[in-house]
Amino acid sequence: MNAAAIRIDDLAFRWRPDGPLCLTLDHLAVDAGKSLFLHGPSGAGKSTLLNLIGGVLLPERGRIEVFGQPLGQLSGAGRDAFRADHLGFVFQQFNLLPWLSVLDNVLLPCRFSRRRADRAGDPAVAAKRLLAALDLDATLAGVPAAELSVGQQQRVAAARALIGRPEILIADEPTSALDTARQDAFIDLLLAEAKAAGSTVVFVSHDERLAVHFDQKFALTAGVQP
Amino acid sequence: MSALLRLALASAWNRRLSLGLTLLAVMLAATLLLSVERVRQAARDGFAQSVSGSDLIVGARTSPVQLVLYSVFRLGEATNNLGWDSYQKIAADPAIAWSVPLSLGDSHRGYPVLGTTPGYFVHFHYGDRQPLRFAAGTAFAGIFDAVLGAEVAQRLGYRVGDKITLSHGDGGLPGMEHEDKPFTVTGVLAPTGTPVDRTVHVGLAAIEAIHLDWIGGAPVPGFAIGAEVVQKFDLTPKTITAFMVGLHQRGEVFRIQRRINQFADEPLLAVLPGVALDQLWQTVGVVEQALQTVSWLVLAVGLAGLMATMLAGLNERRREMAILRSLGAGPRHILFLLMLESGVISLLGCLLGLATVTLFAAFGGGLLADFGLAALPLAVDAAEMKLLGGVLVCGLLVSLLPAWRAYRLSLADGLIPRS
Repeated sequence: MNAAAIRIDDLAFRWRPDGPLCLTLDHLAVDAGKSLFLHGPSGAGKSTLLNLIGGVLLPERGRIEVFGQPLGQLSGAGRDAFRADHLGFVFQQFNLLPWLSVLDNVLLPCRFSRRRADRAGDPAVAAKRLLAALDLDATLAGVPAAELSVGQQQRVAAARALIGRPEILIADEPTSALDTARQDAFIDLLLAEAKAAGSTVVFVSHDERLAVHFDQKFALTAGVQP
Repeated sequence: MSALLRLALASAWNRRLSLGLTLLAVMLAATLLLSVERVRQAARDGFAQSVSGSDLIVGARTSPVQLVLYSVFRLGEATNNLGWDSYQKIAADPAIAWSVPLSLGDSHRGYPVLGTTPGYFVHFHYGDRQPLRFAAGTAFAGIFDAVLGAEVAQRLGYRVGDKITLSHGDGGLPGMEHEDKPFTVTGVLAPTGTPVDRTVHVGLAAIEAIHLDWIGGAPVPGFAIGAEVVQKFDLTPKTITAFMVGLHQRGEVFRIQRRINQFADEPLLAVLPGVALDQLWQTVGVVEQALQTVSWLVLAVGLAGLMATMLAGLNERRREMAILRSLGAGPRHILFLLMLESGVISLLGCLLGLATVTLFAAFGGGLLADFGLAALPLAVDAAEMKLLGGVLVCGLLVSLLPAWRAYRLSLADGLIPRS
């Protein structure tokens, strides 16, 4: 059975109760194991949508299901735990805690989620395997994250997001700090590892050129219809 | 949760410089607050125990505070003396167990000279009924013998057997030295933390002897009586400054006090030392309050520093908080982390402050003696626990604002910090 990994219906969100609508979305579904490219201009609500999928924000109206679990039915703490167990994140930049070593950064999700730790098997081994798969030298494992280049930091972030094989990998403009040549290489690595982990990918970018890498494509439009 | 705590520790270690400075500020504030409290307590106790064991202090009629000031603290001068015959009459009362006359007015290099009787060293008590002890030598026996308080001996470097000369009045005017009649130091008293430490004690007869050839507060020109011939004169004083009285029965103190206050021959005043000392402390109490106010202000500055450091640090910590949230931390965890951090800093500041004060009390006693203070109490009492608790609560209250701001920020930022 090919269940939807993420399913969104009739969604509306606004920051303030008396403010304008920031985001409306009639329907969006991503199948498990597929990759979605989400694009749109600045202010179209991309970050808001990620926060909604992550369970950090709640919609004013509508329904978000992640692997059949309606997020609206979970408590705040329940959504926090759900996020820790099932979602991995890669941000635009500054993904890492600079005072922790590369290895400790990658292991963070296993410290916060029992499930991720269990699924990783031996977390340290899994972390080193991921780092190697993402083209990071083994000697970097003990180095403080602050000493890495931006490109290296993004690959460490990808390893952290993928450890313990979360069902969903969310990447928010992870390539915008990289030069063009390295963007494609990074996306290829990320998608290959996500496939190996069996994770569904939601990839956000304003750069439509990158869409060719993904199974599915969805455009958020700025200026919300009331 | 333990993962969060470990991360909090690592994060704090990463910011150890600014956190360390904040901790230092809180620690100094707590130290100051505690030491002011202890010095205040020690000063108050020392003050209230400057004299004990005497039931009454008697002098010419003046205000009770005035009488205590000059007779106990040797501060200022008596406006009037009282007659020796009055003293004799009162001392003869069968209810009175002992009495010690006090005669003030001369000085030695700024330290007051007290003329008294050897009974002084027996009957004068201080603190919790502690008698005077001789660190060296004995009480005076001859006319030109002197016993020094601990501070006089230490500061001026005198030992038993040294010769000293007295000055008339406070020694401020030249040519007012009693240099023709030197005294021999026969004893040095052990430190007491009371005005006794600052006093040169001589016999009543000595005060008479050095003034034999003086009239109206100045030496008579061309007229001198040598030290070797003073014995031939009557050295019984005509007046004294005050005297201390001890009763057989404490219960009779008010009857005797009334009798002295109504003494027909001359106007006298008898005060209960404890009552007068309390009155005097009321007037000195303003300083005490000022000290306390200053130390609370220092605490306020320290805590304001804590708040400023936390607020300033928030912006650079927004990314850290976003990462923590993506890992499953809720906004309440963020709130908890910040409160924990300031709570730990306040607690550490209090403990370090307490340790500093305790170390100082244990090893810094010599410094305090210079200020005429007895040793500080080593143990923490209930009042200090309350004070420390207050500091802790203030620290937590102060961190509410930054913590609340961090909570709001992490709610608004979610997973993507808008910096």
